[in-house]
Amino acid sequence: MSALGVIGGVVQPVLIVAGSPLLVGLMRQVRARLEGRAGAGVGQPWRDLRKLLRKERIAPRGTSEVFRFAPLVLVATTLVVAVVVPFVATESALDPVADLFAVVALLALGAVALALAGLDTGTAFGGMGASREMTILALVEPTLLVAIFALSVRVGSTNLGAIVSSTLHDPARVISPVSLLAAVALIVVIVAETGRIPVDNPSTHLELTMVHEAMVLEHAGPDLALVELASAMRLSVFLGLLANLFVPWGIATEATPLALLIGVLALVVKVGVLGGLLAAGEVFVAKLRLFRVPELLAGSFLLALLAVAASFFLA
Amino acid sequence: MYVQLLDLACGALLLTAVLVLWRRELTVIIRMFALQGAALAVLVGVLAAQENSAELWAVAVGVFALRAVVLPYLLRRALAGAGESRRETRPLVNVSASLLAAAVLTLLAYAVSQPLVELAPSAATQAIPVGITVVLIGFFVLVTRRRALSQLVGFLLMDNGITAVGFLATTGVGLVVELGVSLDVLLAVLVLQVLTTRMRETFGDTDLDELRELRD
Amino acid sequence: MNLAATGMAAAVAIAVLTALLAVVVRTRTSVVGVGTALTGVAAVVAGAAALAGGSFSVVLPGVLPLSGVSLTLDPLGGLFVAVTGGVAVAAGIYSMSYADTPDLRARGVRVALPLFVVAMVLVPAAANVGTLLVCWELMALTSLVLVVAEHRRGPQVASAGRWYAVMTHLGFVSVLIGLMLFVAHTGDDSFAAMREAGRHLSPAVAGVVFVATLVGFASKAGIVPLHAWLPRAHPEAPSHVSALMSAAMVNLGVYGLVRVGVDLLGGGAAWWWLLVLALGAVSAVYGILQAAMSSDLKRLLGQSTTENMGLVLIGVGAAGLFASSGDRALAALALTAALVHVVGHAAFKTVLFLAAGSVLHATGSRDLDALGGLRPVMPVTTAAFGVGALAASALPPGTAFVSEWLLLQALIHGLPAGGVAAAIAMPVAVAAVALTAGLAVATFVKAFGVGFLAKPRSEAVAGAHESPFTMLAAMGIAAVVCVVLALWPAGILPAVQAAAGGVAVSGDVTLRLNQATGALSPLLLTLGLVAAVAVVAAVMRAAVARRVRREARLWDCGGGPMSARMEYTATSFAEPLQRVFDDVVQPELDVDVSHHEESRYLVQAVEYRRKVPDRIERRLYQPVLSVITAWGRAGRGLAPGSVHRYLGYGFYAVCGVLLLLAVTR
Repeated sequence: MSALGVIGGVVQPVLIVAGSPLLVGLMRQVRARLEGRAGAGVGQPWRDLRKLLRKERIAPRGTSEVFRFAPLVLVATTLVVAVVVPFVATESALDPVADLFAVVALLALGAVALALAGLDTGTAFGGMGASREMTILALVEPTLLVAIFALSVRVGSTNLGAIVSSTLHDPARVISPVSLLAAVALIVVIVAETGRIPVDNPSTHLELTMVHEAMVLEHAGPDLALVELASAMRLSVFLGLLANLFVPWGIATEATPLALLIGVLALVVKVGVLGGLLAAGEVFVAKLRLFRVPELLAGSFLLALLAVAASFFLA
Repeated sequence: MYVQLLDLACGALLLTAVLVLWRRELTVIIRMFALQGAALAVLVGVLAAQENSAELWAVAVGVFALRAVVLPYLLRRALAGAGESRRETRPLVNVSASLLAAAVLTLLAYAVSQPLVELAPSAATQAIPVGITVVLIGFFVLVTRRRALSQLVGFLLMDNGITAVGFLATTGVGLVVELGVSLDVLLAVLVLQVLTTRMRETFGDTDLDELRELRD
Repeated sequence: MNLAATGMAAAVAIAVLTALLAVVVRTRTSVVGVGTALTGVAAVVAGAAALAGGSFSVVLPGVLPLSGVSLTLDPLGGLFVAVTGGVAVAAGIYSMSYADTPDLRARGVRVALPLFVVAMVLVPAAANVGTLLVCWELMALTSLVLVVAEHRRGPQVASAGRWYAVMTHLGFVSVLIGLMLFVAHTGDDSFAAMREAGRHLSPAVAGVVFVATLVGFASKAGIVPLHAWLPRAHPEAPSHVSALMSAAMVNLGVYGLVRVGVDLLGGGAAWWWLLVLALGAVSAVYGILQAAMSSDLKRLLGQSTTENMGLVLIGVGAAGLFASSGDRALAALALTAALVHVVGHAAFKTVLFLAAGSVLHATGSRDLDALGGLRPVMPVTTAAFGVGALAASALPPGTAFVSEWLLLQALIHGLPAGGVAAAIAMPVAVAAVALTAGLAVATFVKAFGVGFLAKPRSEAVAGAHESPFTMLAAMGIAAVVCVVLALWPAGILPAVQAAAGGVAVSGDVTLRLNQATGALSPLLLTLGLVAAVAVVAAVMRAAVARRVRREARLWDCGGGPMSARMEYTATSFAEPLQRVFDDVVQPELDVDVSHHEESRYLVQAVEYRRKVPDRIERRLYQPVLSVITAWGRAGRGLAPGSVHRYLGYGFYAVCGVLLLLAVTR
């Protein structure tokens, strides 16, 4: 456990927790401006969270502790990921956890906790959301792991620190077909995992279309604040991961204040740009029917597999 | 630099083939085909720069003119005449399954082309599986699509793949051969276009399954 | 006499004594349970001693005809003996109160239980073909008795028994043919001699031996397409027997494969292992897909066994593939992953089956669509099932996560190692493992969320009660083992690597791959997670002004209180997946809409029926079964009931054979 790792492990979660609602605010603002609306401002998600935290805690009748613990677990898994993944510094506070498979599985664990909470309410909405979320999760998994496979084969490791530093040392790799195909596949996966258009619409409450919102319909007040914060954090974590897997420049490799500052700024800029692009892209596409989503995921799986294939085709 | 450009061109070749399989709108399919023609021209151009051969440069320009401009133009014209049937609505194999099939085809192409690559391993020959994958995906499109036009694109995809393999394996098959092949392809497209038009006039549709009626 | 030998002797002695007691003096059920558990303890001791290096060998020439009984316990066998013993401990304790029903008190059933356990313990210790086959058959027969123990419950039990009997015996015949062919070429049926000769077999003979034994062992492990018995027999058997079969018996198929393929035949050609890998991948995906569609709790668990054995076979196949291309270190890693998964699967499948049995005991139902709301009335069972489900779904902190991580590491590092075959097999295997993991998550969320949470979906559940202490204790032991395996897998690594025959992973808290970069620490991960939960909880306590939770109505869209019939069921939960995999599973749907008399726009009732038949089974088994039935019908003409005619057949046959001999001489 190096000094750099420890500092990164403290700075990163603080940055993610503080910044992710702003990222969501930024994305809503971009969307609003592109649609010709004024928008509520970048700080609105934080104001929403503050409002929710002041409200009363609710325990819907017939729910068990699974329902009550789910938001905690969801935030906690994302928090652990925020600590271990090299966002700001290349070294990790908990190196044996900074494994790409472990990180992916941790994020899946959060989704599972929420799905169980949805089922625990016993309402049709909760069950429906859980069922859809789990279906998408199951289908995303092959793409995700094969894309990871493509990225880690050339490094010979699934350790995130190792992957990031090897890209830092060999920048030419970024514009190879392997990287590009894997990046496209991962973007589709991230869109699916974070429930963005065209897979899910985060701002809908229509039973035909909602996935994530259906699961969390019974959460209110501070619990809802946690869920909202966690989904914002998941989005930032995924975007940060994408940014640093393919464009790791700016990340701190030594424990000096300047390097760390640059690392923080680089992360903020990269994630902000990616979020802005994602929001801008969402304006132009419609939400897919739920049963067209497998098609999208099959396509992204093919791209991931092509990335693996390209890593030995075009060696 | 040479290797990277070559790899990128091959990646684009592969990606456009996949997108032809993925998308349903015929206009998008034709656009992807045009992009693939451009990628093929870039591939030939990269080889030409490497070999420093004027003949190959000429071929590259020819490939671009034919496959990125003329053939897409012809296809688009055929589509404009086709009226409302602008989507490949019900392929014989659904899109998810055909994407997974393409994954299998890629691995198959890799397996069969290994002996070929081992004859003379170089950056160009190592990309041969890409060409063979494009051929196989083209064949797959030909087999599973209903609209005459998307089948035509499948056929042209095969031809693109064959051309790519030819260039990757031998660094150019010669101007004369390439010219002959191109003329052949052009002729085939024209004939098929006429056929499509006649079909539509007879059946009011270009669903090839309708041809079954000729047998009865 | 070392510890391993003492343990084995004690296991055999206790089991036989328990069986004798059950026959002679009709003891209480609890005595049989205790005897079975003690047999298990002795087996665990023997296995652990063998894994620690204290192997033994004993030959008892007079016990069996021909070459006699010969037992050896090496580390590979020791691992399987220990796993079997561990499952037997939990199952034995569980049976003390679970088996206290009229059906399970029957004498034959009580005798069969300890004998089944001891047969399973002896199979991995057998050191010659004769002993192996006799123990294998004893295991099949005793388990058959246990499967049909509750035959009074309905005809489906007898049907399951028939399927099991036929499949297991066809498998036995296949193993028999393979091993006899092997012995015919070596001339000696002791494993030591076969190991020597196995290296010099011609590739063709070795290939035939391998495929024949593979068919037999795969049918025991429930590998597709020989899995048809498994989702029938496991749900119908009493739950502790299901646990023994699913967590211990199927492992012996893997044991047989490793013993014959890797040990006796010494590796062999790459195509063998590609075949194993392909079978494993198909089984994993198909098994979990069937489980995801299933709404019968125990059937779901049975199908998940097929899935997990498929994952193990992926590991074994990859290990064989790496070994055949000369990469011993990687082969050891893949085999280690497979064996860790065997151990983990044994632990969580025991918990899951015992918890399912507890649910069955309390509610009389194993239909997920009728369960739910068990959390308040059966807290311990719910917790145990939760631990098992987490362990089974390859999420951290769970046991399957560790083994699947190791497996994926082996597959990733295997890509550069093995040429074209590996280049194609590895990505496909990774995709298969990933899809399996994803579907497993969905399946176990369904099983736990629908089966245990929310509100009761039927009357039977509303009146449920927690199970007796011994059942809870058994589940508790197995659940604790699950947790320990998940948090401290390094604890069993030395043992597993002794069995796998190579040290590929090291470390006490953090698993480190020796030949490649890669490390994972489940304990640190869990601690991090717990710390994060604590931090978030503390921050919330500080930040939230009003701490008391108010009870509130569920959101019912203003339509009045929600009834249990409005809940999502297991069938509806699986519907999206069923639609996505429509082409693969081909469900049979039947929707009946009955209209009102006056207008067809007024719907009176909608009836929805869905059946997800096993497609492989229908395509593969139905034709064979109908041919057999046709044969039987054709043969009926030969059997008019006259005794003279039957004796005549024998007479003519003897004369015919003699005539043939006379002519051909």
